[in-house]
Amino acid sequence: MATNTELTGFPRNNGRWGFRNYILLLPLHNALNQLVENVRVNHPANSVLTAVAHDWSGEVDADWDRIRRVFSGFAVNPNVGATIVVGIGTEAENEIVQRARAHRKMPIAYLTLKEAGSFDALQSEVASSISEVFPLVASEKRIPAPWSAMILGLECGGSDAYSGITANPALGVASDRLVELGSTSILAETMEILGAEHLLAARAKTPEVGQAIIDVVARYEQSISYEGIDIRGAQPSRGNIEGGLTTLEEKSLGAAKKAGNAPFTGVLDYAHIPTEPGLYFMDTPGHDIEQLTGFAASDVNITVFTTGRGTPTGSAVIPTIKVATNTEMATALPDLIDLNAGTIADGTETVVEVGARIFNEIIAVANGKLPAAEVGGHREFNLSRLYGSTL
Amino acid sequence: MITGYSNNSRGIGVRSYQLILPSVVCSTHLAKKVAEQVGGVTFSHQHGCGIIGPDVAGVNDFFVALAGHPNIQSTVVLGLGCETIQGNELTDSITSNYPETEYVVIQESAGMAGALDSSIATARALLDSYTPQRTALEQLTIGVEGFPNPSLLNEFTLLAENSGHKVLASNAQRESARNFAELIRRKCHVILSFPDANQPPTGLPLIPVITVANERSPLHQALASEFDELHSVSAQELLLKVINVANGEKSKSESKKVGDIVVPRMVRSV
Repeated sequence: MATNTELTGFPRNNGRWGFRNYILLLPLHNALNQLVENVRVNHPANSVLTAVAHDWSGEVDADWDRIRRVFSGFAVNPNVGATIVVGIGTEAENEIVQRARAHRKMPIAYLTLKEAGSFDALQSEVASSISEVFPLVASEKRIPAPWSAMILGLECGGSDAYSGITANPALGVASDRLVELGSTSILAETMEILGAEHLLAARAKTPEVGQAIIDVVARYEQSISYEGIDIRGAQPSRGNIEGGLTTLEEKSLGAAKKAGNAPFTGVLDYAHIPTEPGLYFMDTPGHDIEQLTGFAASDVNITVFTTGRGTPTGSAVIPTIKVATNTEMATALPDLIDLNAGTIADGTETVVEVGARIFNEIIAVANGKLPAAEVGGHREFNLSRLYGSTL
Repeated sequence: MITGYSNNSRGIGVRSYQLILPSVVCSTHLAKKVAEQVGGVTFSHQHGCGIIGPDVAGVNDFFVALAGHPNIQSTVVLGLGCETIQGNELTDSITSNYPETEYVVIQESAGMAGALDSSIATARALLDSYTPQRTALEQLTIGVEGFPNPSLLNEFTLLAENSGHKVLASNAQRESARNFAELIRRKCHVILSFPDANQPPTGLPLIPVITVANERSPLHQALASEFDELHSVSAQELLLKVINVANGEKSKSESKKVGDIVVPRMVRSV
């Protein structure tokens, strides 16, 4: 399988590799969303610019640790060549910038409204800062990359009854192959392994990792019941039920198949980074964009997202490949989908064959091919908050 | 004397916007493209799916309040299809009070290109069916947010009430965007914002926000040109400003489109 493929990327000085070389515009206050968008749309370097919008207003509350970890990690994702942080001029913002700089030495500018004196002046400063860093970013070239460059995020959203028998196991084949070659692969969505955690724990490399998988699910369930809500009443979602899923356990058994059969090297907290190659589980919400944003803050540089119902979303910094679980949806929503795994249910391809196609698509997209979400300009971003839940 | 717009079932507003309302984060990108094409207002948000407990009704009710605000003349709800907040049910609950409302769903529109085309056609048809009528607005509902000088607020409230207007205050949070949510729900036509000393002046897509600087704040001093007024403003001057903005003058945050809508949440996503 794919013995003659060559992976290419942009080497980073912290040992990571990028599969894109974006200039990221990162606003740190929702009052700056529009300003950043104005610059992104109008700047001549538009094709390498990426940006996010969010609802944070600088509040330092119970979720502060999570928020600063996400912003500082996102700012230095390996797919970003340079970052321009746009803030108000507060201590909290400064902390985010310092943490980002400590994580990776790269061009990070920090421009503030307080220093600029007006929104218009700040907008001009951001535009000038892009022009300044652009020649450097444009001069960086792709070179052959080792398999360890790949940090693959595994995601599913809008699952249906086909997910667990078509797209997810096929993605598992691709993930296993990459892990074997020395890449990193991350399964996530704690709610979506609830009921399957014992099966995953049995594949842990050490008893400690196995226990960590069991603990993370127990902690999650406790956290939700702490809120007085039984998760099993809210999941599977109505979209999942319409797609033919009956219980959360059934959804979980299908969702876990994205991680193939490789042994688990470790368990990561939300937005924490993997330190060595291998297969990991990360504690994230099932919410597609909270998960994707957490991945971005954890150095994930490519994601495969399986979907039964069809969803257009993507990340500002991670190329996201959409795999349809069924042919009907892949045909009905062609501009959302990169690859159809519904052929497995149709009986025209095997899981292993579709797995090989997904593997090849991952390499192609890593090497620069644009998946549907990137073509569509999808840059959804979500700060994951716990709202004071103490567990 | 204030001349507003008769926004059909939503009452008399001081603006007449079409709201492009994404019912879930997955349709926010589409909503932005549609709003750009038809000149509507929208906002980016992270909600509508993976929410549980009190947030399901809370987010739903907030979306209904946005869609029914008097500064809105019509609403197009954009859904993905499989989300927790089902767009068709949200649309039904909006339509029961505010009939000038339509719904487009991505998963039933042959994809993004199809959804974009049908959303634009739907939005334009709604716009074409309505000609904004200028109408006298007898009672203005004025929201006050943040940290005004108490004596100024008292004097302003008295003056506004004597002129037949209503004043509602919200200062539960230090961040303006969070207080705005309450004032949107309470159907304020115009908001007076007195940001915290460490917060910038900020506004909203559908309600004009007049910002007042705190002279003792170094941040506000540095950004003096971005505020409409200073804390030292008199109650009379402030009311005059509110009336001018209600009559169509753009506030500073409004003309620069500063600020987004923050949807209130209580519980973590699942």
